[in-house]
Amino acid sequence: MLPAVTADDDKLKGLLEKLDEATALLAAARDFAKPGKLPRVLDTARRVMLHPDGCAAMAPRARVLEEAGVFAGSDWASPQILVPALTPHSLASADANTVVIEALSELRLLAVAHGEYRHPLISAEQAHHYLTQVIAINLTLLFGAATEAERETQGRLAQLPRNLFQYLTERIGYEHVIDQLIEEIWRILEQRPIQVDALKSMITQIATCQADPDIDLGASGQGANRLVSALFSPTRGCQEDPGIAVYRERLGSMDPSALQSEATGFARAMHDTGLVSPYHPVLLRFLLDQGDHLLTEALGLSATGRDCLLCYRDLVHALIRACVHPPTAQATYGLALLLERGILYQPSMAPALLRQLGLQLSDWSQARLTLAFGDAVSPRARLLEGVLCMLGQPLGVGQGNNPTCQSARALSMWAYSDPDYLLQMVAWAARDDEIIMHFEGQPISSRESEGGVATTLPLDLDPVSLLVVPHLDRIYAEMGRRCVDREGDPHRWVNPEFHGWWSGRGFRINVDVATGHLADMDAFLRHFYASYHPYYNGDLPLIHPQPAGIAVTDSAARFIGWHAITLLRVNIDPTDVMRAYFYNPNNDSGQDWGDGIRVSTAGNGERFGESSLPFEEFASRLYIFHYDPLERGELAQVAQEELDRVIARIHRSWGADRIPATELQASEGPHV
Amino acid sequence: MDKDPQKGYIALLGWSLNAVEAAENFDRRYVVVAPDWAEDYCQKHDIPYVSWNFERLNDRSMEIAETLKKMGVDVAVPLYEETVEWAGAINSVLLDNPRLYGQSLLLRDKALMKRRAQLGGIRVGIFEEAHDKGDVIRFLKRVNQTLLKLDGDPNDPIHLKAFDKAGCLGHRVIRTPDEVDSIPDEEFPVLMESHLDGWEFAVEAWIHDGKIAFLNISEYVTLGYSVFVPASPDLEAYRPQITAQIEKLIKAFDIEFGLIHPEYFVTSDGEMYFGEVAYRPPGFKVFELLERVYGFNAYQASMLVFDPKATPEEVARFFPREIEDANGYAGCFGVYPRRRVVSKLEIPEEVEDHPYFESHELTPPVEETVTKRTAFGTHWGLVYFKGPDSHQLRDLLKHQEDLDYYV
Repeated sequence: MLPAVTADDDKLKGLLEKLDEATALLAAARDFAKPGKLPRVLDTARRVMLHPDGCAAMAPRARVLEEAGVFAGSDWASPQILVPALTPHSLASADANTVVIEALSELRLLAVAHGEYRHPLISAEQAHHYLTQVIAINLTLLFGAATEAERETQGRLAQLPRNLFQYLTERIGYEHVIDQLIEEIWRILEQRPIQVDALKSMITQIATCQADPDIDLGASGQGANRLVSALFSPTRGCQEDPGIAVYRERLGSMDPSALQSEATGFARAMHDTGLVSPYHPVLLRFLLDQGDHLLTEALGLSATGRDCLLCYRDLVHALIRACVHPPTAQATYGLALLLERGILYQPSMAPALLRQLGLQLSDWSQARLTLAFGDAVSPRARLLEGVLCMLGQPLGVGQGNNPTCQSARALSMWAYSDPDYLLQMVAWAARDDEIIMHFEGQPISSRESEGGVATTLPLDLDPVSLLVVPHLDRIYAEMGRRCVDREGDPHRWVNPEFHGWWSGRGFRINVDVATGHLADMDAFLRHFYASYHPYYNGDLPLIHPQPAGIAVTDSAARFIGWHAITLLRVNIDPTDVMRAYFYNPNNDSGQDWGDGIRVSTAGNGERFGESSLPFEEFASRLYIFHYDPLERGELAQVAQEELDRVIARIHRSWGADRIPATELQASEGPHV
Repeated sequence: MDKDPQKGYIALLGWSLNAVEAAENFDRRYVVVAPDWAEDYCQKHDIPYVSWNFERLNDRSMEIAETLKKMGVDVAVPLYEETVEWAGAINSVLLDNPRLYGQSLLLRDKALMKRRAQLGGIRVGIFEEAHDKGDVIRFLKRVNQTLLKLDGDPNDPIHLKAFDKAGCLGHRVIRTPDEVDSIPDEEFPVLMESHLDGWEFAVEAWIHDGKIAFLNISEYVTLGYSVFVPASPDLEAYRPQITAQIEKLIKAFDIEFGLIHPEYFVTSDGEMYFGEVAYRPPGFKVFELLERVYGFNAYQASMLVFDPKATPEEVARFFPREIEDANGYAGCFGVYPRRRVVSKLEIPEEVEDHPYFESHELTPPVEETVTKRTAFGTHWGLVYFKGPDSHQLRDLLKHQEDLDYYV
């Protein structure tokens, strides 16, 4: 063994020499010549970090590398604005340079966190905090080999992030990581997403860490107990995680009071966390023959839900039989919330669900579902699970890593306001592989339309989105194409036709489409206040969720892109602040939009899945909204001071380089 | 770097970031003369700049020479083939030596160049100008008759080159009359040469006061694919003969100063044949390779020997000792995709793990379908190697031709 190790060491030494040489060249180069010297540094750094001991050798060089200009001109040059949530994307990038820069940035922050490098822009504490979050969010990289997808896109490079995190975790310590991770999981769970597989696997990883005698977690990880138990041992009957078969056997020998305690145990775990243990479906299926009282308990239903269950008893039984299995455990939660919403009382819902129960899926739909979710249960059961979850958690729809926010928003809106229409869409897409919608009287078929916004078929979606989104996306894009010749923003016509009759036909935008400049700010904002702010609209609550467009900004308040959201309600929050509550199809709504604007997802009166901002802050990121032209009142008499605050926020963020020359002069006037 | 007003003021003709960087770090004042698209960049980075579009020489040509003269510029250094005659025209004004312009025209036209070399007693292969496809077919036949080939014997190929383009641009190899059809009419006129079986190499020689200040031999492993410096001991064995050849060339072309970049063949009997000569930096990043092994900056070297104010002592101090001062062998390989359809860049593992492998400048493919190469074509990027053994480096470079970088 010994000679091999030496040869390996020699190789690392040789690479480090090359790296130091390349770094010195970069450091010596003039600013304009640096881009030409950078590739060699990055490429050599990549090879160093692919070596098992490479990251350890790289860490002491991090400062020299930064000072040489490795990060110059990129976001990484301002470590104080880096967002941990973006690291999984850069580390999984197929572009080696992106992976390397991200890794170097982490190693640099490690040196900062340990006080080895005093950084002008970020403190040791901040760096430490950032790193723990990064490790927590990339915990998958600590465990197991690269996935097939990673290998396909990254090849050998996939080893690099693993080496990096192995090293980071050794230096930072598992105990910090785990607590951070647990906090993160709770934060996301509070938004009650439909897709929880990633969360479940993170919880599994924590459980593995806790069970591993080689990992010393110290006092940390206590907060995970509820999460781990909710998944693996929510009740006395499965306390020691005995396995499905053993548990099923045990149920047979339980007396009614034991079953009662099992039922309430599962229900509590499920409603506490939004996660459903695989044991839970075993109990539910068992209880189908035991009377509806226990079934109600096991679903944790209130009086509303119980009435609904009793009223539609046969349907509910059929749904449980058809799709609630250990691999589709989340269907339980979807079903419980569906019953609580009382939407089964809408006359069309029961027959629509009966159609869904017997729906013949096309070959294509079956293949897509199997590809995305495996074949542990039938594709039909998988889709039905997705249907129950979407109807139960309309605000839990996420767009995945796809540019299809419009389609995700539409699905969420239908699940919320028009559930049987959603079921119709699912039936068309899953059975017929075609959806036809109408645009100003003209039919648009998803089959005949050419490409949508997304260029590849998505895989990282819930079952319903997986089948329906590609159709919606093509139709949405086609509607846009039919508006190309029109002046102004196409959303004016597309949104009401695409989403539903309740989207107001009135439309305002504060960006001039031709120039990209801000336009008409004052009137836009007064109009928005007049339509939506209860103090200015006669205290009218929002009736139907309305599509709206926001300019998303990053944590440095720089413009990132236009994004579709749904405005759900505007209310006073528990601290008497007027807040806008909205749905964001993005998978994690807790975002930092810069300039002090942090989107809240819990603690300010939000319901599960809602995001919220104080009305003013929300208005400062809004660029499109709809209203009912018939209900439109006078322009709101909003205090100029308040409007100026909102406009100033716009000018400080996404509007910074969109200010038309004249307006700039006007607004700067008083200061000159 | 601080500029020494006692030394020359130099104009760089054409845009090269590496040249600008070298000039920034050199003790001479400089100005970049480049097309207007470089203006914003130069302004942003405080790079001294004069805007000029190098179209064909015309009656406005004096204008740039006068501008530079008024600025106090002493000499102009061409960075690209297209700016060689501009440098000649400008320097004939700046240095008050009209002969320089004529010399630059000789160095720009491959046919004139060969004639001049022949007149100077330098051996060249058989060559001729072609104005249409008929000329090419005739030349191909005649060359092969001369070689006493019988009908049905495989032909010896001939080479076609544009008169006034650098390196491999427009270079085609023709073996059969059928292949002549594939030449687009707009490529004519061209220069045709017989094929010489032999060892091809190039020389970079910096000349000051009509004498060789530094002479490097670049060894081609495969023309258009790979080159390394300094040459292997086997080729360096010819250094005395090669030096003699260069001295002949200096005399034939009456070169007083500057960088020349000629190409030669050595045939199996040790005879040297002149291919062509350029009065500008070589392609294939040979300058970078030289810096890797000798440590001196070749752009600065060129500025130095062009500078009329440079003294022989300074020139002697600047250059290292040939071969002795090289700290290894550095080479590079131009990658061409080998497959018709490629989806990604993947540096072969054996390359990455090789101790000689230094770096690469390849980028991921933009298109999946690889355009068929007609002429010698352009490579997709270079891969750099460096190591202590020239034979190992040569074999390594040769071996690269069998590897897939794009899959």
